[in-house]
Amino acid sequence: MTPLTPPPIDYAAVAPLLIVLGAACVSVLVEAFLPRHQRWPAQVALSVVAIVVAGVTLGVYAGDAPAQGVITLGSTMAVDMPTLFLWGTLLVLGFGSLLLIADRSVEPGGAFVASALERASAGAAPGSTTGPSGVDPEHVDRSYGAPGDAPTMQTEVFPFTLFALGGMMAFVAANDLLTMFVALEVLSLPLYLMCGLARRRRLLSQEAAVKYFLLGAFASAFFLYGVALLYGYAGSVRLSAIAEAAVGTDRSDALLFGGLALLIVGLLFKGSVGPFHTWTPDVYQGAPTPATAFMAACTKVAAFGAIARVLYVAFGSTRWEWRGVLWAVAIASMVIGAVLGLTQTDLKRMIAYSSIAHAGFLLLGTMAITQAGTSGTLFYLLAYGFTTIAVFGIISLVRTADGEATHLSQWAGLAKRSPLLAGVMTFLLLALAGIPLTSGFTAKFAVFSAALSDGMAPLVVVALVASAIAAFFYLRVVVLMYFSETPADGPTVSVPGAFTTVAITLGVVVTLLLGVAPTLVLDWAGAGGFTG
Amino acid sequence: MLDPYLALLFMALLAGAFALFSVTAAPYIGPRRYNRAKLDSYECGIEPSPKPVVGTGRMPVAYYLTAMLFILFDIELVFLYPYAVAADSLGLFGLVAVTVYIATIGFVYFYEWRRGGLEWD
Amino acid sequence: MNLLAQQDGMTHTQQLLADDPIWLVLLKVVVLFAVGVVLTLFMINWERKVVGRMQQRPGPNRTGPGGWLQSLADGLKLAFKEDIMPVLADKKVYFLAPVISTIPAFVAFSVIPFGGEVSIFGERTVLQLVDLPVGVLVVLACSSIGVYGIVLGGWASGNPYSLLGALRSAAQVISYEIALGLSVVGVILYAGSLSTADIVEAQSGGWYFYLLLPSFVIFVISMVGETNRAPFDLPEAESELVGGFHTEYTSLKFALFFLAEYVNMVTVSAMATTLFLGGGRIPFLGPVNGWIEFVVFIAKTLLFLFLFIWLRGTLPRFRYDQFMKLGWKVLVPVALIWTMIVFAIRVFRTTTGAESTAALVIAIVLGFAAVLTIAFMLPDRTEDAADVELASSYPVPPLDLAPPGRSRKRIARATPDPEPALTGKED
Repeated sequence: MTPLTPPPIDYAAVAPLLIVLGAACVSVLVEAFLPRHQRWPAQVALSVVAIVVAGVTLGVYAGDAPAQGVITLGSTMAVDMPTLFLWGTLLVLGFGSLLLIADRSVEPGGAFVASALERASAGAAPGSTTGPSGVDPEHVDRSYGAPGDAPTMQTEVFPFTLFALGGMMAFVAANDLLTMFVALEVLSLPLYLMCGLARRRRLLSQEAAVKYFLLGAFASAFFLYGVALLYGYAGSVRLSAIAEAAVGTDRSDALLFGGLALLIVGLLFKGSVGPFHTWTPDVYQGAPTPATAFMAACTKVAAFGAIARVLYVAFGSTRWEWRGVLWAVAIASMVIGAVLGLTQTDLKRMIAYSSIAHAGFLLLGTMAITQAGTSGTLFYLLAYGFTTIAVFGIISLVRTADGEATHLSQWAGLAKRSPLLAGVMTFLLLALAGIPLTSGFTAKFAVFSAALSDGMAPLVVVALVASAIAAFFYLRVVVLMYFSETPADGPTVSVPGAFTTVAITLGVVVTLLLGVAPTLVLDWAGAGGFTG
Repeated sequence: MLDPYLALLFMALLAGAFALFSVTAAPYIGPRRYNRAKLDSYECGIEPSPKPVVGTGRMPVAYYLTAMLFILFDIELVFLYPYAVAADSLGLFGLVAVTVYIATIGFVYFYEWRRGGLEWD
Repeated sequence: MNLLAQQDGMTHTQQLLADDPIWLVLLKVVVLFAVGVVLTLFMINWERKVVGRMQQRPGPNRTGPGGWLQSLADGLKLAFKEDIMPVLADKKVYFLAPVISTIPAFVAFSVIPFGGEVSIFGERTVLQLVDLPVGVLVVLACSSIGVYGIVLGGWASGNPYSLLGALRSAAQVISYEIALGLSVVGVILYAGSLSTADIVEAQSGGWYFYLLLPSFVIFVISMVGETNRAPFDLPEAESELVGGFHTEYTSLKFALFFLAEYVNMVTVSAMATTLFLGGGRIPFLGPVNGWIEFVVFIAKTLLFLFLFIWLRGTLPRFRYDQFMKLGWKVLVPVALIWTMIVFAIRVFRTTTGAESTAALVIAIVLGFAAVLTIAFMLPDRTEDAADVELASSYPVPPLDLAPPGRSRKRIARATPDPEPALTGKED
């Protein structure tokens, strides 16, 4: 019997990933073995500790990581500088979203659905009484259980979050397409479920979950077909092997580009790039707001991290062949996001279209197969993620008796009622629009200049025009908040608990810092390129 | 030299041919005496339930839970078999890996068990 | 030629089988099919006779010598019965379901190693149709596919009893298949192969039924569950579900379901013989003439088949929740823990050098197995059900209705009479 030599594993490099996934497993056990009233504190503590410990491990490792990165776990994981930066981004953004998810003060019991037992004790199924309009006809929220009990939520969201986070971290580090596919599923499946867990507007939430799941399954299938074709072309699923095969042979390119097309469709779907964006508005609107924040910030990071890696490592050498198509995609995404965003009347949908436009901008950076393009993309992801989390944190604060007041008309004159909230929201919207002194400006500048230097001047012009159009609908909200009459039965602004306050503050401060003094983070983002 | 799977195919064909012949021939061999009651679904002599089960019938959700758990464990099995075949050459590393693997699925199993997913009434 | 084949990594059996000419393969297919059918006919008859004896009655004794042709006569009679297609049935699926359940039953039958090397019409070969490197998996896969026939048949009948029977049957087969599959892992580990002939070969040093006793016990229990036989015959619990999934089936379609069930039974018995009783080998003798091995194999298989009958004659049917509980909460955990223990022991015995690390790791694995055991032993937490406030005004019985206590007669008997009757009991 000849012993096989196991592949060497650089445990220090992959420790953050292992910690997050391990904590996810432990939190499943917490769900299984702890009594109901202890679960929420235990889960929050566990998740926070896991993310913090993973972040510290990451920081310690990044301090003296080899500049060219390491490839470990039998060449399935590439832990290089972009990976480390993306992991850091994911952990920090995940931490912010986790705080929003854990909050139980804004909505009594949390934004997530009550545990099954409480729902049973609340009598008739709450989902059936709440129509898609979000108006509960009976107007009695009985989902808090017996009067004496503190309202709780379905604490499964914490393992979901951790699993999704772990999947995202594996996704951006995947060095071969199969690992990438597994990671894609690990990150997607919990997200589908989280979408369907809103405490209010159950039908809308469930519809969002089903839509996201079905379309996501399609996208996964596309991805998998792409992997199959690329394997047929290169005889390997490793990214670098595909690049080598593309250079060294005179094989028919049909498999290569067919594979790339299918693969990239799957990835663009996850990044909600138009025209593969159709799920985005519905899901952003229907999902519980903290989950939307998590999805908007972290999924974007994961998807674009992976797109950048695939394009850079596997298809960098053939970029002149496929770039034209991605130009069209980027233009479509920017135009769809900006123009359709104008017509929205729901704040969450508006942010969704804004995210589609931002996805188009991000694509510019990933298409530039240069060091500057990579670092610009990484910086953009970090900046956009923080702003988005803070925006959704703010959205969750403006409420009526039916839950969040997301309709634009309900935000009219909000500045008179709560100047602080309106001010913060204005600042964040300006950041999304890309006004100087906010992180949005720096990020856009980094991405656009990288695209410009890589010969994409027309695309940059389109992007600037799209930014201008998009700025209009952000400013419309600002105008509405400051210069409109307050409706009589307008929403109230809740005083956030500690968790939400921390999350929003974190987002706002980072947005400001990255706008005023971006050099340090830009240096980190530009510390090294992808390793194949 | 025949592909071994060809023999399996022959077997499947023979069994299939026999079965298809049986189901096709049955209406022709047997007698046919029309009676409306005979064609109704059999519900112990009472009038059959008005709604057809096919198409509109729903299955209790507990069966789906069992089915999902089955898929999970069946996949575990499919991965345990190759490990069992190659266990000697994989040595300690393989043992650790397979333990982690079983544990991961075990967590899910605990969860479903403790949360009442395996209860039937 | 031999050397060439050896280099391909084929075993002796696989070489012999690969050299079979096509006429021999076809002959084997036909004979194997006939064996399946004949064993079914024999089994039905034997079952009726044995159960009859167990119940102090003779069983069928009229048709043919000693009544042994009774099942054949029944089978022929079925062919001349009216074939009914219920109006509510989904025609195509209803039609195809018996076929779907018959084919995998026979395909699974074809990897069984019935005997050793023989010569048929001057051709050296083995009494086995194919010896695949994934033989055990074929059997498991086929039993999974067979479930489709049952579920589709029950669903397509358009009858609530059929649907319920089919669902139960599916849930049952898949639940017990997990335990079955896990119990086989130990055997595969020790044999180092999934090929059935190799597994028989590997048992020349000792049969696995005592080397891997827990595996054997789990296998035997779950094979009864897997084939929907008493005491686990809930899908056709006639007191609850009329006939289960085949309530609406008549004539030859019904006969096919019956055939598939009995062939499956023969297959799992043959698998038990292969995996745990050394196939056709005779203890202390080593390989003997292939035909003798065939006879021995059949005898061992009949042993298991007798067990099936014996169980049916002895045990009452399980309740459904007890049955699922046995599968998921007893057999699966025990099989999992046992599998891990076997892994740990095996690796400990094969690891050379680095003994201390090995011991450490194995201690950890065994410790984990112990933790698992404890975790499984933990009593189920009962989440105190909240007081359900009934939302509708539909009349329902009170929820706190207590079951009636002991009957009045028994109470009367149990409570001592305050005034003892004058029967002179004091002395």
